[in-house]
Amino acid sequence: MHKQILSTAIILLLVLSSYHINAQNMGDFKYDETELYAETKQVNQFFRRFNGEEDKHGERLYEKDKDFRTYKLRKKYVPMLFNLESGILADAAKEKFSEMVLDKEDPVYLDFHGGAWLCELQTIFTYKGVEDELTLFLVLQEEEVGSKWVIDGVYFEPFHKGLKNPDNSNFNDRKFLHPLSHELGFMNIFRVFNESDSLEYFGHKNFEPDYLSLFFYEIKNGSLRFNTVKDLKFHFFQIDGWYLELTYFNRDGLNSGWLISNLLEVDEKNRDILLNYIYHE
Amino acid sequence: MKRLGLILFILAGMAFGYTAQAQTEISPERKRAIDSLAMEKIRDLGKYISIIGNKQTPFSEAKRVIDRTLELFVEDAQMGVSSLYKQEVTYYGIREYLERLMLLNYDKVKIEWFNIQYISDLELQPDGRYVGVITIFQRFEGTSDDGLIYKDVTKKDITVYVERKQTQIGGKLIGFWDVLLGDIRVVETTK
Repeated sequence: MHKQILSTAIILLLVLSSYHINAQNMGDFKYDETELYAETKQVNQFFRRFNGEEDKHGERLYEKDKDFRTYKLRKKYVPMLFNLESGILADAAKEKFSEMVLDKEDPVYLDFHGGAWLCELQTIFTYKGVEDELTLFLVLQEEEVGSKWVIDGVYFEPFHKGLKNPDNSNFNDRKFLHPLSHELGFMNIFRVFNESDSLEYFGHKNFEPDYLSLFFYEIKNGSLRFNTVKDLKFHFFQIDGWYLELTYFNRDGLNSGWLISNLLEVDEKNRDILLNYIYHE
Repeated sequence: MKRLGLILFILAGMAFGYTAQAQTEISPERKRAIDSLAMEKIRDLGKYISIIGNKQTPFSEAKRVIDRTLELFVEDAQMGVSSLYKQEVTYYGIREYLERLMLLNYDKVKIEWFNIQYISDLELQPDGRYVGVITIFQRFEGTSDDGLIYKDVTKKDITVYVERKQTQIGGKLIGFWDVLLGDIRVVETTK
């Protein structure tokens, strides 16, 4: 692990060696801009660096430029895009992943408009007078003109607690409407509503709560009020067989900004499990 | 998997989106010119903030500069501020932010720029305008008359809206790219 960090730091210094390191002198405040240069400052820059679309001076490269998406450039950038202070990023996975995306014959790039990635946004809402965290899931949707982020899902603990799926694994011999209830004009349906805790037992076995509808409804009726945003990260399923998590690291040093904070090799089945896990489904 | 299904559906719908985008694509040369224009506006913003925050600036002049500053922005632009200790974003309208700065009444305000900025690609949004984000780093130092100094280094992510407009000059219609600033996120850095 230590060796890996050291080698990446050496590569990073090599990249930066041709960059004019401008230490500004601000009275008693000396500032070395190398760290600001090294930081992956926007998600947009993460895409550019990953794809080799930014030169060693930080300038945007276009298709007509000589170094655009070259192996040489990407080989320098890709190792810098991992969170090097993480204990959960396995060296073997990083190596296998890097080898795959940097394949000279069949290189793999990330595409902003390529779909299969999403944002997990932590927000704070006030629900019925109580402040609580709420997670929104957003995806980029292509439109007739341009594109936009849209809300694809929500996780809010009070919703999940209030609308949990009933455990139907055991035979339920108490909570039901008997099969001849219709003959009574369902006069016995009052029993369904006597105990709100067991309401879901009277629903269809395929019942699945739609939390996003509930979210919109609660905002519209004034029970749920937005306060602020808190944090965000991104989940990428765009590269076949792999999952990447992208997180912002606001810290000193040359390994900061938007970096890969988690990397997993996933087959199709595990990808679905992981997506369900992310969406709390 | 319904979520992934949606994502794949979006992927399949991309071809149409690309067609629309290709029609109004901005060349690299044009992009560079727009970037310069946007940076000029951001520098103006920095200059105005220094004037507004400076105690030596007469009240009437500060009010006039606030109005000039607002001309740089789209309507309803917000400043979202977070710190190392409070990750949650606090929102201020631009006018509110500037008026608060004026009331802080520092004896001296110094805003220094780092020679690093990052200018994102321009993305087409559904209303036909382009949007970009420019990241800059600034050091703010405010000195009050009792000698107390407040200083911080912040990362500012500034929204930039770019729109193709036309104006009539000497009876001829001339096209130009108009740049306006939008929401700004201010994050205190550890650097």
